Amino acid sequence: MLKIHYSLESDFEKGIADIATPEELSIQVRNLVLKAKKGMQVAKGELIAEHPSTFGGAYHAACSGKVAKVDYHHLTIKCDADEAGKAVEPVNVASLGAGVELLRVLQELGINVAPLSKTEILVINGMNPEPGITVAEQLLRDEKAALEAGLDIARKLCSPTRIVLAAAKGTSYSLAGAERKRIKAKYPNSLDALVVKAVTGKEFPANAKVINVMDLYDLGRVALTGLPVTDTVMTVGGRNYRVPLGTPIRHVMRSIGQEIVSGDTVVLGGPFQGEAVYSLDEGVKKSDYGLFAISSKEFPAVQDAPCINCGDCVNKCPARIQANLISRYAEFERFEDAEKHGLHSCFECGLCAFNCFSRRPLLQYIRFAKAQLRASRQGEDS
Amino acid sequence: MTPPIIKSMSDITVRLMVSPPPHWRSGRTIQKMMTAHLLALLPALAMGVVMYGPKAAAVAALAGATAIATEALCLKLQNRDIDVDNLTALYAGVLFAFLLPASAPWWLVIIGAALTIALGRTVFGGFGSNPVCAPLVAWAVCRLSWPAAMDIDLGLSHFLLNYPPDQLKYFGAQALGQYDYLDLLLGRQLGGLGSSQILALLAGGVFLAARGWISSFIAAAFLLGVAAMAAVFWFLDPSQYADPLFHLLTGSTVFGAFFLATDTASSPVGKIPQILFGLLAGAMVIVIRIYGVYSDGVPFAIMLVNLLSPLLDRVRPKPFGGR
Repeated sequence: MLKIHYSLESDFEKGIADIATPEELSIQVRNLVLKAKKGMQVAKGELIAEHPSTFGGAYHAACSGKVAKVDYHHLTIKCDADEAGKAVEPVNVASLGAGVELLRVLQELGINVAPLSKTEILVINGMNPEPGITVAEQLLRDEKAALEAGLDIARKLCSPTRIVLAAAKGTSYSLAGAERKRIKAKYPNSLDALVVKAVTGKEFPANAKVINVMDLYDLGRVALTGLPVTDTVMTVGGRNYRVPLGTPIRHVMRSIGQEIVSGDTVVLGGPFQGEAVYSLDEGVKKSDYGLFAISSKEFPAVQDAPCINCGDCVNKCPARIQANLISRYAEFERFEDAEKHGLHSCFECGLCAFNCFSRRPLLQYIRFAKAQLRASRQGEDS
Repeated sequence: MTPPIIKSMSDITVRLMVSPPPHWRSGRTIQKMMTAHLLALLPALAMGVVMYGPKAAAVAALAGATAIATEALCLKLQNRDIDVDNLTALYAGVLFAFLLPASAPWWLVIIGAALTIALGRTVFGGFGSNPVCAPLVAWAVCRLSWPAAMDIDLGLSHFLLNYPPDQLKYFGAQALGQYDYLDLLLGRQLGGLGSSQILALLAGGVFLAARGWISSFIAAAFLLGVAAMAAVFWFLDPSQYADPLFHLLTGSTVFGAFFLATDTASSPVGKIPQILFGLLAGAMVIVIRIYGVYSDGVPFAIMLVNLLSPLLDRVRPKPFGGR
């Protein structure tokens, strides 16, 4: 039978390794409110940009150094080894009571506070997000203290009546004060919508909020240290590393001794939902939990081919939508028709395009239709 | 206006490939799908050659070659990429040949194979866009235009055997004593050069269904539909109507179930629509065999139910979280 690599099981003995600070950091600043200028000297943990939305977290320098270049896309920091220079004062997060002030402080420390509002059921998604990524279970095993500190803050802000930790079947991870729910470790069961369904039995319920363990870990570390988020834990080549935010991919790959050749696809994030980067100078971002290099020979490339209506995408879709019709509507810019066939039920697992015989970029068409509808609605509102 | 200067966004020693997610894929392609389909037809073709002689292979080869040439020409005329190397045209041509008697004249084979591509597919937008199973369109045109050349009993009159569906149609159920079911299963019966090789087709069809290349829902529901509808009539009057097993083993029932009804473009998607589709087509086969003019009801039954596909596609579950 066909071998499909969907399993989310993780198999690790080692702990999280550190990646040395690179010579240069490259931080994506597109659409951000810049707080640093070219030539400025920044300390480790100093604010460099803010998120324009109401809930987004701020961005901080992951090392001390000098801002070497700023353009529309990127901000580059030349790192220096001068750790003795001016340092950022830790904030005493634990002393703050629940309320707007705590939210604002967390936001300033780089936490996205969107999921941290009043809710009845709080679901902690402890499943590894995608096949090949083992960060979630690594954190549950090795960083329980930080996770529980994060959970305390989340409990303070969400005041839920029920907290559930969803983790893979056959594991024994637990968090103080959370019920446990075991879910089969198979993609796409790790996606938030399906985890909430497994926990509550309802589809998109209004009374439940999800937070994944990676975000909870960031929250916990901020609470314990009072210092901003300046690194992310990510799986590279089967092992988990703590990588400073903005570290160029070239540096990560060099540190672990993996070689990249022309024609490879380098993916930040997971193999199903991640983003292919165009340059090895691209920096690692917040919420990138994996880094994959995929050889061009490994998989047949996507192509611009017509749908042959085999129906494999429909049969494999966990959201029960008509991906075959949606992709065709999106192709011919009939976005309202795409909506009628369940466009907004899609949680973008990518299984449709994974299975497509015609190798159509189905997930791309779905995202395109969503973006176009959003843009046209915004135009109508203003 | 001066064109903008395009600077390379990265160093050019290592050029990365970018593509939309997902970055892993199942590795299944149309070419592999068609290779599997053609492999599944091989045992039936081999049995057909044993039964009808090398003429059977010649008809299949001529039909396949004509189909490829027609497809290439049609794509050329439309200024599209000539992708006959995905084997879909070859497969459609061979499917058409499988329905012909081995004695079919060369001009009929060429016209039919060309019609399979031109009238069956190209006029509707090419492979994947045909509303009706393409080889059946060509079969219907040929059957109506040149009934004598398409007639199985007439073309193969040097065999002592008879075409079972015709015997049932014209001489009734009592004439069926001449058939041994084991012989029918092993392909010792008259019929299309490949479509009468029941056991070989069954082996090929089960292989395709097991590998997930065809919808097993359609194939199973089709066979079930034929058997159930035949059983209803048989229970009413066993002396007048043939038993379900006879209907399953004769004509192109098995061929239709695994290779014609499962044509991706003309069949619905989704489990429930596919099961309904198979049941309807199967039941239709028996209705045509009993009340219709054509003794083997399979081609017309499938064509008719193909037209219901868009309607059946509307039977769909509520989307996730849908109201």
